[in-house]
Amino acid sequence: MVHIEDIKKEAKRLLKEKKIKYLIGYKRGTNGLTALPTFIKEPEDTDELIWEASCIQNLSRYLVEEKKEQLKNKAENTLPVGIIAKACDTRSIAVLLQEKFLERKDIYIIGVSCEYGGVIDQKKIKKKFRGKKPEKVIFDKTNNLLIGTKFGNIKVPAEEILAERCIECKSTFPLLCDDVFGENVKRKISEHFNSIKEIEELPAESRWEFWHGHLEKCIRCFACRSVCPMCFCTECVVDPIELAVTNESTAREKAEKVKWIERSTTATDNIIFQLVRTLHLAGRCIDCGECERVCPVDIPIRLLNKKMEKTALEKFGYESGFDINMPSLISNFKDEDPQDFIR
Amino acid sequence: MEVVIQRDSFPQLLEKLNRYNIWLPRKNGDYWEFKLSRGKESLDKKYTNTKLSPKKFVLPQTETLFQITEGENGKFNIDEKQKKDSLDIVFGIRPCDGVALSHLDKVFLNSFKDPYYSKKRDNTVFIGLACETPPFENCSCTTMGESPFSTKGLDILLKDIGDRYIVEYITDKGKKLFSGFPNLFGKITTKDKESLEKIKKESNKKIKKRVEDLSETTKKLDIMFDSDLWFHESQSCINCGICTYLCPSCHCFDINDEQLSKKPLNVKRVRTWDNCQFPIFTMHSSGHNPRPDKQSRYRRRIYHKFSYFYKTEGEHLCTGCGRCSNYCPAGINIFETLQKVAEYE
Repeated sequence: MVHIEDIKKEAKRLLKEKKIKYLIGYKRGTNGLTALPTFIKEPEDTDELIWEASCIQNLSRYLVEEKKEQLKNKAENTLPVGIIAKACDTRSIAVLLQEKFLERKDIYIIGVSCEYGGVIDQKKIKKKFRGKKPEKVIFDKTNNLLIGTKFGNIKVPAEEILAERCIECKSTFPLLCDDVFGENVKRKISEHFNSIKEIEELPAESRWEFWHGHLEKCIRCFACRSVCPMCFCTECVVDPIELAVTNESTAREKAEKVKWIERSTTATDNIIFQLVRTLHLAGRCIDCGECERVCPVDIPIRLLNKKMEKTALEKFGYESGFDINMPSLISNFKDEDPQDFIR
Repeated sequence: MEVVIQRDSFPQLLEKLNRYNIWLPRKNGDYWEFKLSRGKESLDKKYTNTKLSPKKFVLPQTETLFQITEGENGKFNIDEKQKKDSLDIVFGIRPCDGVALSHLDKVFLNSFKDPYYSKKRDNTVFIGLACETPPFENCSCTTMGESPFSTKGLDILLKDIGDRYIVEYITDKGKKLFSGFPNLFGKITTKDKESLEKIKKESNKKIKKRVEDLSETTKKLDIMFDSDLWFHESQSCINCGICTYLCPSCHCFDINDEQLSKKPLNVKRVRTWDNCQFPIFTMHSSGHNPRPDKQSRYRRRIYHKFSYFYKTEGEHLCTGCGRCSNYCPAGINIFETLQKVAEYE
């Protein structure tokens, strides 16, 4: 059982003893149930920290931003940044370390086990608790969650309101931690790749129709990319800044820069964008589900990444986010790798 | 002028209008959007508000301004792509979004008349639906000096009083639209007016007033450009474009030429939405970016809405619809920022 008071105590100690620069954690949300990211510098502010199933965000995105700021300002990081991380979040940190984007000494990981739970799906909650204004959500010791409303606590079986990715979670226990809270429990609610079963079984035309229909809706807010800890490229093909233009670029170079996609939001270009992203995440995505959560037009982006994850596992026996010393999927070649597609 | 139509007669009204393109709010999975009507339909009682704002009817995300094609003998043909003469009727515009249309009018019709916008505006009838209950926690129209029964920007406003709608004609365009079918409309009674007053009062009461006097808040902005507040308020921002693309009042656009083929030449000039929260928005071709970080971009958004636009147009470029705050992936709430600005010393 995780006790938030223990986490607060440790956070306070780390800040007091100047072991960390600041702490990235969760605080109570002001709009509905979902917790908000918080950045704590002062030991006394640690009281606002919370830990419950509403701590949805993968905060490792903010480590990426911190690193980018550092690179931009050419500043040397003196103290590590503290982060409260769930199991999946630590797996994304693992990939960032494996790819040498982050350095281990720059982060202080306070891992928290999801134990038998996980995080909630905002949409499921919205449907189930319409008009009841849920205020908090508490893990039970069993497979239930307690939703605190102004009408009292309501008990709900976890799988009814947990996020799909949590239902399919491989391990709810964080890794690489400097501190760890909660227990390492074995739990399995569903098969890891259950969510893509249905779409995999569809014939190609129906799959095309499905994705065309969804990606047609894309408004190119790029929230999926912006929220993703793995999307750390300084330059993205969809809106390149420096790739196309530098101080030295000639007018001709600027005029003739390659446009990978046009600004018109056509289904074709939307598909190109999303497919580029999917392929760039193959063997890297750790299924934190953030891209799908933030999508304003409900494109089931996670299914694409899940399919890549399955392919990596089946074809190459590769699982991302578990071993930081292993070479990454794309940069590695083994004799036994399937190569029947090379002709 | 106000008349009354029975709720049951609404599908008949739609049928009578069927030679036009009729748009109604309809559920698409978990959210509402405007869809072409299938014929005899009613307005869904459960309707809250559309996730994407109705600005797309007058300012589509992608709009071809003209297209140039190279014909035989090297002759060029210019197609002006402005053929829209058919009438679009949009039902279910919430009053906040109507107010947003009046903002867009100020931008696109006042000092310079944008022909693309103006044509679409003329050929669209916006029929509002007053909020008898504010649909979202973040609804803040009263903070912006409006109300759930505001009529700005609309042609007609429907007010649901249970088994009937009170129909308020705002523009001549609106009045003309329904004038052909007097049988469907009845006179408004004193009782109708009474129940409307009651609903109005209740609805207004349910909306949180975030800031007492927003013009005072605007004055504060003059002295807090360099405040730490912008850093703290934007710290969790992930630099996506949800707030601006979902905003009914945000209207910045970009114009590009897109080549479809080189030989024979086929190229179109396209206007698309742009987004001040993207780093590329202010990127100079020299490589310099005057708004290099998210705090300057977030600050810009607030200043444009509550300082610059207010100073030139006398209105805040925000309608309190709450979309930016409802759907921000990081939970940033514009109204909380405004409260902090109001409390700033």
